[in-house]
Amino acid sequence: MLNKLSKGLLLVTSLSFATPALAAPSNAELKIGISQEFETMNPLIMTMSASAYMYRMIGRSLVVLTPEGKWVAQLAKEIPSLEKGTAKIIEEGGKKKISATWEIVENAKWGDGKPVICQDFITSHKIATSPTVSVGEKEQWTQVEKIEIDAKNPKKCTFKYEKAKWDFYQLAQFFPVPTHLEQAVFDKYSKQKEGYEKNSNYVRNPTNPGLYNGPYVISEVKLGSHVAFTPNPHFYGKQPNIKKIIVKLIPNTGTLEANLRSGTIDMISVLGLDFDQALAFEKKTKAENLPYVVHFVPSVTYEHIDLKLDNPILKDVRVRKALLYSINREDLVKALFENKQQVAIHNVSPKDPWYTADPKIITLYRYSKREAGKLLDEAGWKMGADGYRSKDGKKLSLIFQTTAGNKTRELVQVYLQNQWKQAGIEVLVKNEPARVFFGDTMSKRKFEGMALFAWVSSPENSPRSTVYSKAIPNSSNGWSGQNFHGWSNPAVDKDLEALDLEFNAAKRADLVHNILKAYTAEVPVLPLFYRSDISVTPKNLKNYKMAGHQFYETNNVEDWNLN
Amino acid sequence: MNSNEVAMDELQIDTNSLSAKDRAELEKAQPMWKMVLTQFLDHKLAVVGAVIIHLFLLISIFAGQIRSITGLDPDAQNVANRYLSPMTTAQVGQDVRETEVERYINAFPESADKIQKALLEKGLVQVAEADAIYDLASRDVKEAISSLQSLNLPEATDLISTFKNFETFHLFGTDELGRDVFIRLVYGTRVSMGVGVLVAIASALIGLLIGSLAGFYGGLIDTVLMRVTDALLSLPTIPVLIVMAAIDLTKLPWLKAIVSTSNESIFKMVIILCLFSWMTVARLVRGSILSIREREFVLAARTLGAKDSTIIVRHMFPNVIAPMLVSITLGVGESILFEAALSFLGLGIMPPTPSWGNMLNNAQELIYQAPFLAILPGILILLTTISFNYLGDGLQDAIDPKAIRR
Amino acid sequence: MTAFITRRILQTLAVIVVLSYVFYYLMSLMPGDPVDMMVASNPKITAEDVARLKSLYGLDQPTYKRYLNWVASMSQGDLGYSRTYRVPVQELMGPRLWNTFLLSFISLTLSIAIAVPLGVISALRPGSRTDYFMNLFSFAGISIPSFWLAIVLIILFAVKFPLLPAGGTQTIGGEPLGFWADLMDRSFYLVLPVLSLSIQQIGRFSRFTRSAMLEAMRNDFIRTARAKGLSRRVVIWQHGFRNALIPLITILALSFSGLFSGAILTETVFAYQGVGKLVYDSIIGNDYNVAMISLVISVSMVLLMNLVADILYGFADPRISYQ
Repeated sequence: MLNKLSKGLLLVTSLSFATPALAAPSNAELKIGISQEFETMNPLIMTMSASAYMYRMIGRSLVVLTPEGKWVAQLAKEIPSLEKGTAKIIEEGGKKKISATWEIVENAKWGDGKPVICQDFITSHKIATSPTVSVGEKEQWTQVEKIEIDAKNPKKCTFKYEKAKWDFYQLAQFFPVPTHLEQAVFDKYSKQKEGYEKNSNYVRNPTNPGLYNGPYVISEVKLGSHVAFTPNPHFYGKQPNIKKIIVKLIPNTGTLEANLRSGTIDMISVLGLDFDQALAFEKKTKAENLPYVVHFVPSVTYEHIDLKLDNPILKDVRVRKALLYSINREDLVKALFENKQQVAIHNVSPKDPWYTADPKIITLYRYSKREAGKLLDEAGWKMGADGYRSKDGKKLSLIFQTTAGNKTRELVQVYLQNQWKQAGIEVLVKNEPARVFFGDTMSKRKFEGMALFAWVSSPENSPRSTVYSKAIPNSSNGWSGQNFHGWSNPAVDKDLEALDLEFNAAKRADLVHNILKAYTAEVPVLPLFYRSDISVTPKNLKNYKMAGHQFYETNNVEDWNLN
Repeated sequence: MNSNEVAMDELQIDTNSLSAKDRAELEKAQPMWKMVLTQFLDHKLAVVGAVIIHLFLLISIFAGQIRSITGLDPDAQNVANRYLSPMTTAQVGQDVRETEVERYINAFPESADKIQKALLEKGLVQVAEADAIYDLASRDVKEAISSLQSLNLPEATDLISTFKNFETFHLFGTDELGRDVFIRLVYGTRVSMGVGVLVAIASALIGLLIGSLAGFYGGLIDTVLMRVTDALLSLPTIPVLIVMAAIDLTKLPWLKAIVSTSNESIFKMVIILCLFSWMTVARLVRGSILSIREREFVLAARTLGAKDSTIIVRHMFPNVIAPMLVSITLGVGESILFEAALSFLGLGIMPPTPSWGNMLNNAQELIYQAPFLAILPGILILLTTISFNYLGDGLQDAIDPKAIRR
Repeated sequence: MTAFITRRILQTLAVIVVLSYVFYYLMSLMPGDPVDMMVASNPKITAEDVARLKSLYGLDQPTYKRYLNWVASMSQGDLGYSRTYRVPVQELMGPRLWNTFLLSFISLTLSIAIAVPLGVISALRPGSRTDYFMNLFSFAGISIPSFWLAIVLIILFAVKFPLLPAGGTQTIGGEPLGFWADLMDRSFYLVLPVLSLSIQQIGRFSRFTRSAMLEAMRNDFIRTARAKGLSRRVVIWQHGFRNALIPLITILALSFSGLFSGAILTETVFAYQGVGKLVYDSIIGNDYNVAMISLVISVSMVLLMNLVADILYGFADPRISYQ
């Protein structure tokens, strides 16, 4: 009876899931689906990933990080450097500073035909550093002390940086805004709190082509629904092939897939599918020969578990090591992700020039239940009859938290919980909505045991904010800093301080390796895996190259071709 | 009630002239509950609903027994066998086997020793003695069992039964971690039904209390209580939910005894649902009490000097039991649906505890690839809520004296 | 009557003010304000950034002061600015409110138009085959999880038989359409969301109609009316249905109060650009201004509709009077 029933149901379901054939998209129009919200695209104040994804189609910065992980000039003719003499270290009032000369490419123009000039950078610098404008991360603006325009060439200027840091040229978020449009708005409203933001042309008149200097301009915006893009005839580079791009917001990932299958959208951006869904979709694509390609590209997003080092159980480094020994991350990655995401051994990604897997430098933890058991026995946690370890009558029990509703994390969480159970460690799950988790539990260091989440970084990014001892959030520093685990190691602090000021690449790598040595020996964090970025594109989309970091693939949208 | 008794006495006198058979018939027909039952049994679908509900209740009560009979564990993962289709057999993962073998060796060191020696002697394994059983366990289950049986050792029976458990049959397939869907649905029944029933009863009691206070005393108390009810009815649920999510129930001293981290989300769910579902009952009770308040029997009780509490409890509650019962049954269905909706928003019951709502939510993205995972909990939710609705309908018909069809 | 209405309106206003403060306070109790969220996603934000942004957003002031500021700017007609989307609230909410109104109004009227006759028919023939199927249908409607139904509908009508769009509000990026063409286009997108909302509402309304009508038809005056030889139609509609109106008005008023608050689940699954998802996101993202406006709208709608229901009772049942 049951057998019959289930067969009948299977028949019904398999019937309803056969997908009809769809026409392939052409260069006339490409519809991209995203599942994350976007905001007004003012490059100075936007913070959402979806906005950044779209902004790369309409705006360019001086430099950008390529998918291969190299910094290249974009709006600038070349990257200034000490060797070439285009940048030099100067001393001012006993402080070391850098002055660097940038020149904007000749035919860089705004969408209304006006040239992009140094004054546009000065305008955006002025707006972003104004106290009435709510720019999030101010440091990237304030690190530039002054911009001086060359008297003869309005496209040439000298930036003076307040500190002599080796990575001074990484100004990828330092976007210009058109002086001829935004200056007047700022002058009028600069006294009012948030007055500029509310009245900027990016809000009042977002389809004005003069606001954008990328390969596309915005032709239509509807917040919460979609944005339409058309080519920018004044773009300095090659004209894009695709005549129209529409980015459509579909907040539910299940519906996102249905929209792809029904042809309402042609591709799913990197801010779309869940991992499990993408795996299943790839299999389906292969089995039914659907006209899609599912891309998996390793990214710099580092999924890890922060351990609260103040916890009496976790204070003991042996317990921390045992936690790491008793989880089989290779198996996890194989079983849950079909090896499409990489196991992490520390907080520097394999894409990074600083990466090392050398066992002479770092400590590697291969899955070994026996090793874990030995360490726990040593630490005094003895196996009891109920299958859990205990010491002085107290059970070895830890609370494990992550963001509720994140499928992949919850999956990993339950998987790990089971493995720790095999090692005699009781792990209790207590998940919270993201805003509670990040806004309170983590930022105020209220988590009690383990917290699973991710850091997004980029290659050669100093791990300062997450391991520096002064970055431990507490009430006296206004709960700033992201050293949630509370790790404090004087040697690491010194290396971190030296790292910023080291201009020799090899020496920088050495400093980072020192930090990694301590990081893997003391295990303040359990590294899990590096997330892969996922997207689905039509089979006929050529020259599509996923980035794997926050300088999205839309940065070379002009090369995309559907013919 | 007094007037009723008088009537009964008169009836007694009258029936003296009836034959014994008639009298027996009449007496048989007297009790209220029997009349209700007869009425209820007339409503075929309500009966079906009741049967289904009882079935689910039995399942949730005996979930532990079902687990031990089938040998399935709702938390046992088998990641090599994710998303299996229904009616398939799978072999458990290596980590589980190792743990089981370790447990066996610790429990029966002597027989384990014998088996290890025998295995080496017969050349069935080519590893160190200590690893012999582990090595055997890592092989295909059927092969391992037949090798063990070929030893012909009486001590091996325990190990054979351990090995037999390495092969599991999945009636409804497996989920995203290779866990058995059937046993998770069984445990999900316990959670979902438990939450539903608990919420319905608790909110009915709160509603009864508030509604009767408002209805009986009227005036200022009534105004205040009813405005609070209105306010709660119009208050959006989500912000309250998020605030609740931030409260750590385990830190409240009076709850410490019953709440632990592993069941906290269930408690929160119950409290949240209660908070948002007593208002309808309160209004209903208030309405009934208002109409009863001026009736003669209440007036009589009052002139006889009955206390307020006596009047409310003895004379008014019996009159509101019928609509309450109905609203409880309807409330169970609603709570189950609400739990599912909250899980859909990620504010529901925490993993790994299974509930129909979070199972459905976990599966909704994979509805193309593993349709069963989404369809089964959906059908169970549908079936249960329909059953409760029919049950409520049947009760309403049966209890309501005006609805009696003669 | 006028005195009653005035009193009720004053009471309602008081409730709105109290509730809006309670809600404002609740929002401020929630951990994580917009600045905290920014800090969590960007490791480079410094303590100075945090202090600067908090004072810029006014988050460093006590809750009651912020609330008073909000009330002051509201009374000047300034609805504020959405911090999440970085646009003024009215620009953000206007079109969405209209979309939500369209969706809920159409599905409500459709459900009433179908459910009331259905309920009456089955109440007139209790126990018949029609009644039996109607019951089954409405119970199924009430019991089905709405998001599940929505997903199934999408799979059936958008993926398997691609008759209707899988989600959205209207065709985007096309040529500008005339009024009628635009209307056609929108209604095309409305079919599935309306369907998934209506199935539930039809179930609920027809159950209510049925039981109210059954109750009414049992009254003695119906028998009297029949005995008088009045036509069946007059008995049913003028005597029976009129008496069934009171409970119906209550449930309808309650449903109409949701006209502008939106259906979060339906809107999310269908990517329908309504206000429900926006409200949810604004609360989750602590977008005070948006959340407060939506609260005021939804609470006032509920209270207003309750008032309307109370007034309508008087017309439906002359025995009810207001002092």
